[in-house]
Amino acid sequence: MLNSSAALFRRISVSWLMAPKFKPRRLPPAADPALPLQRSTKLARTMSTHSSIKDAFSTYADYLNALNEKRERVVKASRDVTMNSKKVIFQVHRISKNNREEVLEKADKDLAAVRDLHIFRLVKELQGTDFWKLRRAYSPGVQEYVEAATFFKFCQTGNLLNLDEINASLLPLSDPSLEPLQINLLDYLLGLADLTGELMRLAIGRISDGEVEFAERICRFVRDIYRELTLVVPLMDDSSDMETKMVTMLQSVVKIENACFSVRVRGSEYIPLLGTGDPSSFLLGVSEVEL
Amino acid sequence: MKAAFRNAYCFTLSRYSINPNPTILHLVPAISTFPSLPSSVFKNPPFRSPVTATLCSTSMASGDSDAPQTSPSLEKQFEKFRVQLEDSGSLRERIRAVVLEIESATRLMQASLLLVHQSKPIPEVLEKAKTQINVLKDLFNKLAEVVRECPGQYYRYHGDWRTETQMVVSLLAFMHWLETGTLLMHTEAEEKLGLNDSDFGLDVEDYLVGICFMSNEMPRYVVNQVTAGDYDCPRKVLKFLTDLHAAFRMLNLRNDFLRKKFDTMKYDLRRVEEVYYDVKIRGLATSGDSVEDQGTQGQP
Repeated sequence: MLNSSAALFRRISVSWLMAPKFKPRRLPPAADPALPLQRSTKLARTMSTHSSIKDAFSTYADYLNALNEKRERVVKASRDVTMNSKKVIFQVHRISKNNREEVLEKADKDLAAVRDLHIFRLVKELQGTDFWKLRRAYSPGVQEYVEAATFFKFCQTGNLLNLDEINASLLPLSDPSLEPLQINLLDYLLGLADLTGELMRLAIGRISDGEVEFAERICRFVRDIYRELTLVVPLMDDSSDMETKMVTMLQSVVKIENACFSVRVRGSEYIPLLGTGDPSSFLLGVSEVEL
Repeated sequence: MKAAFRNAYCFTLSRYSINPNPTILHLVPAISTFPSLPSSVFKNPPFRSPVTATLCSTSMASGDSDAPQTSPSLEKQFEKFRVQLEDSGSLRERIRAVVLEIESATRLMQASLLLVHQSKPIPEVLEKAKTQINVLKDLFNKLAEVVRECPGQYYRYHGDWRTETQMVVSLLAFMHWLETGTLLMHTEAEEKLGLNDSDFGLDVEDYLVGICFMSNEMPRYVVNQVTAGDYDCPRKVLKFLTDLHAAFRMLNLRNDFLRKKFDTMKYDLRRVEEVYYDVKIRGLATSGDSVEDQGTQGQP
């Protein structure tokens, strides 16, 4: 090891001595006609260090401009993804026993639109290392999208949309010659944490409409997610924001559990709508009243 | 067991960041509606289990027909996540270990360089400091190797070596200036650290911040040089720093860390101007023009 690093040092020091830029007697930018002019660009750089700094910095300026402009485009796309994903979530919230099919159909279409219009823009901008370099720019949007997609999927099938599935749905957006945008594990988990909040609202809302089984199913689902997440969250990169989400998530779980509990305990007193088909209700058979 | 697991993991992990294998794409027909994906569509890697089997829609209205335990696909997915996160966690630990070594080599380099403030002859000081450059070169290559295990994720872990890299760049640039009077360029800095490879390079913003840190050293250096009797130093430093500041003004910066560091540069410039002025008006500086012909090399 020592020999190789000594050899390396010799090699480096020799190359330093040979590189024109390390010539000991070097002149300031005002060119000295006595100095032999060679056609190597390295020497030209030495001769006019002043302009070479400018040249170098103009490349840095170009780099930074391109990066910042790309970042802006990504942020804008991410905001659109967020906004439209939220609309999908609100759409799914309108679900009830009666309108399930239409609500889900519209939500499906809207979600596809988010994907094809806005996520598509992200796909176009982000390649290779940009996935991670610009993650802060697009992460909120992607999280919201994950939230919307998983929310929809749960209402449609009762199951969790997997990361693999959601990424598979994004593959068609990418040009086959480019690297496809794939949602990373961290954004998926963050989106999942937000999902539980929406599910909590859905559960409470469904209970008010009398759909107690749906609420209980939501309760089990959210419990499972929470349990699985407890093992995984501490291992995440910068787990601190996820940890706060976990606190909120537990509160959501407890809210749902309490709501389900209230329904069970006060079952007979619980009057979602006058006139219900629930066999345990004392209002069985009473005609519906317009509220 | 771990080896096979790791292979499968890296294959899938790379799927999450970049897809080096474009063949996966033509296995997937145009998917217009989601989430209906038949499992046969996927080329299953070892542990991408038949999660899609659970895609059969269960009617929500049908009531409590599902078994109360966690669906196996849910558990499988999270188990996979746990493994992935553990792997990335251990990668991060290895990265941190190398970064600690980089930090200690940097400290050694910095300690030797501090001697210039005490007017030790520059070549001597540089000689000592330069020995650390190889150490750093090796360490950065070690870091590159570790990161190379998960391609495309340079910036995922970049925060772990960002500050140290900035320090290294600032020291290298300062040494380069002491030796040559010119600015170390980004490409030169990369070369010195053996990072010319495309996958693990020197981030441009890290380089720029490092240069700003270097400029922060200038006022102190100039003051001590004048105290030690080198009255020509302020002129050289002033010229250098003016050019540097002018070059930096060409950049369009956001209001981030780099911008803040750049803002400190003008204070450095001001202080050097003041020292130059102090020296000049007292007639201590040797006449500026004649010195230029003798070259800008520092102390004999």
